[in-house]
Amino acid sequence: MSARGFGSVLWAGSVAGAALGFYLVSLNVASERAELEEVETRIALAQRDIRLLQTEIGTRGRLAQLERWNVKFIRLAAPTADQFVDGGFQLATLVAPPKKPAIDAPVVLASAQVEQAIPQQPGLTGDPADVRPIPRGASDMVHVASYSLPERPAAAKPLASRPVAGKPVPTNSGPANSSADKKAATATKSAKTAMADPLAPLPSAKAKAKGGAPAASAGATTQKRMRKDGDD
Amino acid sequence: MNAPTPALVARPERLRLVGQRRQVLALMHQRLMFGMLLFGGIIAIIALRLIWLAAFGDHAGRKGGLVDLTPERGDIVDRDGHALARTIDAWIVGLQPGKVIGNKLDLARKLAQLMPEKDEVAYLQMLRSGRSFYYLRRRASPSLVAAINALGEPGMALQREPDRLYPQLGLAAHVVGFTDVDGKGNAGIERAFDERLRDPQQRGRPIVLSINSRIQQALEHELGAAMTTYSAIGAAGVIMDIHSGELLAMTSLPQLNPNAAGQGSPEARFNRATLGVYELGSTFKPFTVAMAMDAGVIKSFGQMYNCPQALHVAGRTINDTHPFGRACSVAEIMKESSNIGTAQIADQLGPTRQKQFLRKMGFLDKVNVELKERGRTLTPGSQWNQIETMTVGYGHGIAVTPLHLATGYATLFNGGIYRPATLLKVDKNHAAGQGHRVFSEDTSYKMRALLRLVVTEGTGRKADAPGYRVGGKTGTAEKLVGGHYASNKVVTTFAGVFPMDEPRYVMVVMLDEPQPTAETFGFRTAGWNVAPVVSKTVSRIAPMLGVRPDKRREPNLAEVLPFVHKEH
Repeated sequence: MSARGFGSVLWAGSVAGAALGFYLVSLNVASERAELEEVETRIALAQRDIRLLQTEIGTRGRLAQLERWNVKFIRLAAPTADQFVDGGFQLATLVAPPKKPAIDAPVVLASAQVEQAIPQQPGLTGDPADVRPIPRGASDMVHVASYSLPERPAAAKPLASRPVAGKPVPTNSGPANSSADKKAATATKSAKTAMADPLAPLPSAKAKAKGGAPAASAGATTQKRMRKDGDD
Repeated sequence: MNAPTPALVARPERLRLVGQRRQVLALMHQRLMFGMLLFGGIIAIIALRLIWLAAFGDHAGRKGGLVDLTPERGDIVDRDGHALARTIDAWIVGLQPGKVIGNKLDLARKLAQLMPEKDEVAYLQMLRSGRSFYYLRRRASPSLVAAINALGEPGMALQREPDRLYPQLGLAAHVVGFTDVDGKGNAGIERAFDERLRDPQQRGRPIVLSINSRIQQALEHELGAAMTTYSAIGAAGVIMDIHSGELLAMTSLPQLNPNAAGQGSPEARFNRATLGVYELGSTFKPFTVAMAMDAGVIKSFGQMYNCPQALHVAGRTINDTHPFGRACSVAEIMKESSNIGTAQIADQLGPTRQKQFLRKMGFLDKVNVELKERGRTLTPGSQWNQIETMTVGYGHGIAVTPLHLATGYATLFNGGIYRPATLLKVDKNHAAGQGHRVFSEDTSYKMRALLRLVVTEGTGRKADAPGYRVGGKTGTAEKLVGGHYASNKVVTTFAGVFPMDEPRYVMVVMLDEPQPTAETFGFRTAGWNVAPVVSKTVSRIAPMLGVRPDKRREPNLAEVLPFVHKEH
């Protein structure tokens, strides 16, 4: 009897278990479906937002507004017939190789000047901060190059000083002696400014003053500067 | 002794009692069973229902339905898909005076601050009136809605309501049209396709117009600039693909903002391009020449006509602005836009053939396009005699819309086939209109050189856009005011086609009552005011349309140049 009773309980249990299993499957499906629907809803909401934003962008960037900006500020115009090219070849013909800036002249000039004071070359390269104020531009350098011609009459002095070119002081004494000849003095002055400068690190303010000094007072300034050079 | 022994014999009452009890018991058992079955049944029904719901029913977390993306009213987009009309959810601000709980005076004051279009007194009157609902603001801005929500007054109603928005404002306003407050189409495409736009089955898909927004904008801008420069009262413009009949741009100025259509003046609501009819003058002359060539009246552009200083016909005199006073060829007649010469050609053609051609080109009926705003053309009607034939030959005595003219030029230059204009993009969903032949292909080909000549050497020189081979014809017609032609009120038109060596697009621009300026040396003729619009617009739009400028290409001008007498 007990076995029979137990059997029925088993039956009832298994039936209940099966029913529960079915229910769980159904519940699982339902929850999956709910998730899917939620995703779909989110997609729909995102699409609605996209539409809204597109409308807003379209309204703010409307063509009439762009045209107004163009007329007032941007000023773009339609291309003319000549701005269209037939192909890559024609386009390439429009692009010439860029011209190199003519930097050869200053280089030549510098070498001509430094010829006298080759030993001081390291001083020149060693202190670029002081070199800078002297060349006031390319035109200045060109002037110096042209002065090299009048320099020829006074060539004797640089020649004379050449043996003592190793020291700056004799070079200074050279122009001091020749102060009688004014023209020659101006010519040599320019030569000196170029070569004397690298010799001693001057305060930049002084260098500037010297650079801006007119030709008439050039003699005095050079002498002062030379003294300072001697002090250093 | 007689008395029965109680132990042996049951009393009859007692026996009866036992029987009764049994009966009652049975009845009670029956009732109990019935009740139990009833409860069991109900429980079973509930259980079954539960199982049913668990297996097939909706779950608790289910949403009330997906978000419906179908707009209340279909979108209208241009041919590239840029929106021209859309329905959005806009906020409306309403007032329900009955539900107001706060201090009405304070509320009126705050409302007047937030929405200054009415003053506090008006708001207070509203609040004290017995009406249940007031619309205070349609399409309110989000900041205003936030401010009103912050009042915390239950009497203020904030709702969302579908509203029609035109993102490009006035762009193509006359094509797109506008809707009234209830969202019913009142003009343009909104009116013509109202049913389709509201149909729940079809409103999910937008209506794709043939309009190209950028070209429309270029046309509107250049035309608007000319209208301002020459103080014209109005202007119209049409740009059309001559092969498919698609309208790439169509405008009528002044135009209204369809977002606030109610504020537009009647003048701004009037569509000059399809509803207004005008005597378009000399732009008709190419039709007359083409008709005569097709009919065999003109054999070559070298055919000579006598062109006196003035031509007297049936008691009327036909004049020219630049009279020849000599014999002139057809090419010269067209180049100098001679009324006298064209009148003679039209006379030779005769009214019957002229009418036949005009009917085939659709000039005698309302213009064939989807819009409902279409003007009835004015023709001589039953009195179509010699003089009327002559005047119609040079564009007087017949009034058509600018769109008619564009369709006519498309017919003339696409190989001679009339095709109705359409505002819907021609693609697999919408085929081009049914066409029929009007002019022969040969005529169509020869006319190219003739109209190019007008632009290179004749009255339309200012319409030339270098490299784009524009050909066309100017037209200046005096307006009929009170039964008389007024010389100071003219309609100037230019009908152009480009590129002329392989025509693809036709462009018609018109200015209504332009005034002379210092730059035009006092002239108000089409060559001075409306032709430059064509030049500027073509150089802007042709690159967009894929027309390459090429200064070395020209139509075959050898057809006409030998017949032009060079003067000094």
